[in-house]
Amino acid sequence: MAENKDHLWKAPEESADKIEDLVKGGSHPVGIDVGTSKVVVSKRGGKDVACQAQLNAFIPVPYSPVTERTIQQQSDIHYYRDGDEIVIFGSATERFANMFNAEARRPMADGLLNPKEKQAWPVLEAILQSLVPKPRSSNEVLAFSVPAAAPGRESGLTYHEASLRQHFTSLGYKAMAINEGLAVIFAELEQHNFTGIGISCGGGMCNATLAFLSIPSIMVSLPKAGDFIDRSVGEAVGEHAQRVKVIKEEGFELSRAPKDKLEKALHIYYEDLIESLVDTLRKAISRAEKLPKSDRPLPIVLAGGTAKPKGFKELFERTLRSKPFPIEVAEVRVAADPFTATARGAYIAAMFEK
Amino acid sequence: MWLPRAEPYNSRSEKGLPPAVPPRRTVATRPSAARVARNVPKAKPGRVSRIGRRPLAALEAELRRIRDPVEKLRFIRRSLDRFETLDERLQALPGAPLRWVAYRLTGVEEARPLFSRNPWGALDPPRRTRPPLPRRARRTLNVAAVFVMAAAGLALASYPRAHGPEAKPPAAAAPQPRPTAQAALDPPRGGTPERIWLVDSGAAFELYSNGLRIDTSWAVRGEARRYRVFTKDGGMGTEVLDRPVGIVFHTSESDIWPLEESFNQKLRDSSQDLLRYLRRNQVYHYLIDRFGRVYRVVEEKDKANHAGMSVWGAGGRLYLNLNGATIGISYETRWEGGAALPITRAQLEAGRSLTDYLRHKWTLAPEMCVTHGLASVNPRKHLIGHHLDWARGFPFAAYSLPDQYQVASPAVQLFGFSYDERFLAVLGEPWPGVIAAQAALASEATASGQDIEAVRVERVRTYDRWLAELTKDAETAEKAAARDARAASGG
Repeated sequence: MAENKDHLWKAPEESADKIEDLVKGGSHPVGIDVGTSKVVVSKRGGKDVACQAQLNAFIPVPYSPVTERTIQQQSDIHYYRDGDEIVIFGSATERFANMFNAEARRPMADGLLNPKEKQAWPVLEAILQSLVPKPRSSNEVLAFSVPAAAPGRESGLTYHEASLRQHFTSLGYKAMAINEGLAVIFAELEQHNFTGIGISCGGGMCNATLAFLSIPSIMVSLPKAGDFIDRSVGEAVGEHAQRVKVIKEEGFELSRAPKDKLEKALHIYYEDLIESLVDTLRKAISRAEKLPKSDRPLPIVLAGGTAKPKGFKELFERTLRSKPFPIEVAEVRVAADPFTATARGAYIAAMFEK
Repeated sequence: MWLPRAEPYNSRSEKGLPPAVPPRRTVATRPSAARVARNVPKAKPGRVSRIGRRPLAALEAELRRIRDPVEKLRFIRRSLDRFETLDERLQALPGAPLRWVAYRLTGVEEARPLFSRNPWGALDPPRRTRPPLPRRARRTLNVAAVFVMAAAGLALASYPRAHGPEAKPPAAAAPQPRPTAQAALDPPRGGTPERIWLVDSGAAFELYSNGLRIDTSWAVRGEARRYRVFTKDGGMGTEVLDRPVGIVFHTSESDIWPLEESFNQKLRDSSQDLLRYLRRNQVYHYLIDRFGRVYRVVEEKDKANHAGMSVWGAGGRLYLNLNGATIGISYETRWEGGAALPITRAQLEAGRSLTDYLRHKWTLAPEMCVTHGLASVNPRKHLIGHHLDWARGFPFAAYSLPDQYQVASPAVQLFGFSYDERFLAVLGEPWPGVIAAQAALASEATASGQDIEAVRVERVRTYDRWLAELTKDAETAEKAAARDARAASGG
């Protein structure tokens, strides 16, 4: 099983070797994918570039000295004390959610800071603190990903982007925001001279960017992604969304026929998500007044945890070809490591800015 | 906060399973084709694509030779920047036919959709900056500037002799005011602070609506506040108070390193060392480091050690130990006599936001916001200026506070304190408030028909008596607290 999962966390060897060339002595830029479901950091690790991640979730448990001691004995649990509660955050959250039979809470929703969650910012800050090293010198560059503004949600994005920028600046970094889809293009489309469509399908939203020669021409976002699938499937089959997520992540494949009601529902909502995504992209490209001329078909790269199940690419291709698409598409492929693509792209942007 | 080191990313760990494999980096060490192909030419720094009939095609052709993604990105962005500059110049050409020819020759028009003000796709794009001029152009400009300056100098030097009347000797320059911190600052801002509220907070910070961000990661609890107020006629009050009523501004007098990049390590370490010392000894409530970061050291509602031997008062109320009654703010700096402002711009701004916040939160009277140098006394020798930090040069006006240097010193006027040689050696002369207090003392002595020395001796005795009462009261309270603690623990 472990061998089968290698592709889920291992960065593509080819990309790593390319990035290896970037690492010059004395500079420690950082790229961060601040996603609804996970926060992934790409940074220098020795001579190489390494990615680390934390689940972007938390769970408060009642404080007691015994609980705190138990937590301290386990080195992989991140927590802080808040009055009479212990807030466990990051990747250990799921374990505690199962232990206490409670739902993990999220600092972010639909790609932005969760306005309904009172603890959103303290927890996100703690998660970032656990991943982001202190800058070694002044003006060290840190690039963090932000989604494209969905219509009517610009103010939320402004707050989200400014909060993150302020946080990283206060740590001593020269912080810069980069569009999520563009970061995917930086990580995956170097051979195409950063020309093509980068799509990031995360937990809270899907982001797509069409770029020519690294310059973003169209950026769209869809507030529908992995969480939407979990929630909808859960409602349809009477299961807990958390359980749907676990099943989805443990070997669910879109390429094989559904074997039960839950898988059938997963198929349905994946199709719905991809249809919405392709439709959004199609409309945005059709509406664009002036696009740079390109005499060759453009590649599409899919990244993010939601693009992970086998068969996602094929389903996307089928949906794409079901109706005329305004530009010619050369290929559709899944990023070599869908989880870390955005963070790696942000790292390249940070290297550029250093 | 307990923060174990983040492990390399492994999706398995998120499911609470023990990792089946040792932690791994996401990078393969095997050299790729890209690394092996060392003979592939890299883009030279600063190189850009040539402009021809089809500049984008030419650019893409050149990009094929670059394998390094960052170099490739740099090459693209530099080339596009050059195309944009050229486009701007061509647009300025006079006459449409000429422009048409120029565009036909350069083909730069096709790159126009790529001229972006937002090349990173963020909502708040960074400001564009032009790349610096090439070295040769800079050198040419510098040489030209030297020639222009030399010519202008020669012309000015020859002008009075050839054409002007004989120059009169310059009048004796009027004495310039001594440069002080006060003179170097902004004009005062409005009066009372705006409404200030907590906007956001986290495990180690608080953010307020006036932009103040407090780092709370160093904060510790101190002893509970407990103090008494004196009045001129009534002596020590019966009421025991526990709310802060003012602020005392300090300088840390710690190691200060030059604000230069090469001292980054020292700059960071010295602040951290200082914070460790302050926390251990519960000194000051706040420290503002040289980059304007505000650290809470002791909780505001508790007492910190910062101005124990001090005298200050306002509105007929006198305080003989300001530790209990005030909040201590220290700037990481050395006062150095106050001839120049010893703090950075960032410290000034941060101190202003912090003062506004504290005044708003605790309803502090501006008259009770004072510097350590103005309030510090030596109780045994009955001297003012035992500590002299900010005895001159604190930017009261910039903090919307009254100029406390003009306020009659209560230690001098009410308790007959004086100053010594050491005081004068540092300050040269006492601040105006001391002189005003001495004058007031003298006029009070005249009005009562007494010798000024006799009045002074009498007031010094009053101070000694009141201080003894205060000390006894504090000891009694301490014993009572210890007794209560013993009783609570069953001892």
